[in-house]
Amino acid sequence: MEAYLAAIGIIAAVYVLLTLGLTLQYGLTGLVNFGHVGFFALGAYASALLAMQGVPLPVSFAAAAAVAAIAAWPLGLVALRLREDYFAVVTLGFGETVRLAITSERWLTNGVQGIPGIPRLFGGVGIEAALATLAAIALACAVAALMLRRIARSPFGRVIEAIRDNEEALKALGKDPARFKLQVMMLGSALAGLAGAFYAHYIAYLSPDQFVPLVTFYAWMAMIMGGVGRVSGAVVGAALLMLFLEGTRFLRDLLPGLVSEVEMASLRLGAVGLALVLFTLFRPQGLMGDYTRR
Amino acid sequence: MITQRRTLLATGAALLATPRVVRAQAETFRIGALNPVTGAGSPYGSGMQRAILAAVEAINAAGGANGRRIEVFSEDTQTSPQAAVLAAKKLIEVNRVRAILGTWSSGVSLAVIPLTNDADILLMHTSGAPALSTPPANAKNLGYRFQATNDRFGRAFAEIAVREGFRRPATMAFNNASGIGNTEGFRRAWAAKGNRNGEHVVYEPNQPSYRAELLRVMNTRPDVIVMGSFLPDTTIILREWFQMGVPMKWIIPGWAANPQLVQALGPAVTEGIISVDSVSNEGSPAFAAYDAAYRRATNRPGLDNVYAAMTWDMAHTLALAIEQAKSFETAAINAAIRQVANPPGEAVPGFAEGKAAIAAGRKVNYEGASSVLDFDEFGDVTPDFGVFFIERGQINRRYVVKI
Repeated sequence: MEAYLAAIGIIAAVYVLLTLGLTLQYGLTGLVNFGHVGFFALGAYASALLAMQGVPLPVSFAAAAAVAAIAAWPLGLVALRLREDYFAVVTLGFGETVRLAITSERWLTNGVQGIPGIPRLFGGVGIEAALATLAAIALACAVAALMLRRIARSPFGRVIEAIRDNEEALKALGKDPARFKLQVMMLGSALAGLAGAFYAHYIAYLSPDQFVPLVTFYAWMAMIMGGVGRVSGAVVGAALLMLFLEGTRFLRDLLPGLVSEVEMASLRLGAVGLALVLFTLFRPQGLMGDYTRR
Repeated sequence: MITQRRTLLATGAALLATPRVVRAQAETFRIGALNPVTGAGSPYGSGMQRAILAAVEAINAAGGANGRRIEVFSEDTQTSPQAAVLAAKKLIEVNRVRAILGTWSSGVSLAVIPLTNDADILLMHTSGAPALSTPPANAKNLGYRFQATNDRFGRAFAEIAVREGFRRPATMAFNNASGIGNTEGFRRAWAAKGNRNGEHVVYEPNQPSYRAELLRVMNTRPDVIVMGSFLPDTTIILREWFQMGVPMKWIIPGWAANPQLVQALGPAVTEGIISVDSVSNEGSPAFAAYDAAYRRATNRPGLDNVYAAMTWDMAHTLALAIEQAKSFETAAINAAIRQVANPPGEAVPGFAEGKAAIAAGRKVNYEGASSVLDFDEFGDVTPDFGVFFIERGQINRRYVVKI
């Protein structure tokens, strides 16, 4: 039981990191990034490939964040020129492009056959390794969350929130939104890359079909349920998402014979969809959202 | 407020705990049915799960394996490695299963097998990827594959191409592990026979048209096109080929060239297509038993779902191995699997017969519903391949190829 809870915890924490990246990009700055999974994939493959070459894991994790951040740089440049809906389309295309590139570059990524046998954190076997992994990723989440909170309260944070709320007014005050957007894009993507590294070394097998747009939208769901623009919302939202996805497994064990696995699968998706609808209807600001505003 | 929350938590915990207490009446041998109920594998997944349940019902009716009833815990992989890993964790850690049966896609099996290896339990799957045979994936030799590898499919295609007298084959592959595995297996086997390979095109899934890819292949004037494809893309490719009006022969895997394809395209387009599939062990008594059980469970003929025949065999092989090993330890069961599945020995079609033979001290050889089920040193089976020709809308088997 402990190892299963640890597994859920680790996957939930991966989504927390992803959601924190989105919170910075969309929640605080208003950049609609639908290509988050692309940076997640870049981080995962970067860290896995380096580790397979014998690079120590701390270095490969750092490299994962760096690769994702650098990949965000050209996209950030594009962001300066596009309005938000067009930017959303470009990022969606970016995520798909990354997946297709991974599929095609077989010399590097082994294409659709995927990479098995990626070294796992802390030896990978047994409950101790699982708990140590959970502790490590929880620490990463905590550091990222604190960093984000500091950013949100800093002068930098006030500028990016101003970009979200009224970019023209900000320009009129003599600030240059471009530089800030670029930094936000790279920082958020670095978080996604780090999430990818944890994911790769936990699952221990990577293939392109794990990096579908659904991952991006899970992170969006978590952010919307938790509360857009709230750091605590990212954590609560990701936990809630896992509760929906995994909790339904136990629901079926409690009601044996009542629903088949086929029906349960549909019910699970239905429950998530219903939750999203109810949230937009009754709590558009999310669980941890600010009551006083909007 | 706080007390309310505590009460709620306690109630929840109690609810979670109850079924385990109820279930603990008699010791059972727990297995996990981890199948692709939703996602890309959904046409097969629920049938696979029902075949496991039906097989276990038959085994328990015969008194269980080594005196214990088998208990099944079902989960859905969603045909996604990430969901499958969490489902497998749950089966292993919470339900404490001693074997996992019926993972379908290679991506899922490759993600789950490190977990079953760590937990020291068996994984029986129907995936095609060659990587599942060897370390690191199958480092502990606890993985068993009930389906032919994609590479073996490719070898069968090459045998057929030789037999049909083709000289200049080209290949087209759907860009995933299975599609590429088929065509590369073919190209390797074809080259090994001293022949030259033609054009090789890999195409991306979900396109509305494959005309560009098709033209690239047709321009090299092959005399046959060997496909590593699936139903939706094959339908579009064949329709576009037919509109071009150039005669061509096709060798297509059976999961793509099936009755639905004929139904979608009509007899004129599909005339003369060669469809290749691993043949279920159709004439066998095991297949008859499986077919009857599958019809009862799903109202469909057993031939509809080759993977369900495989999961049926998984449950039977496992139960017979437990019976043979007279033990519930993984190492002993693992050692007994080849004893009960491979020759020599008395051919048995089901668990009850096998149990009786083992009790009488005879060596048994389970001849399965999906194939004769003889495992090599990698835990792979080599089924026979049926060669079917589509003639006037009918899919007729001409001959069987052994590799």
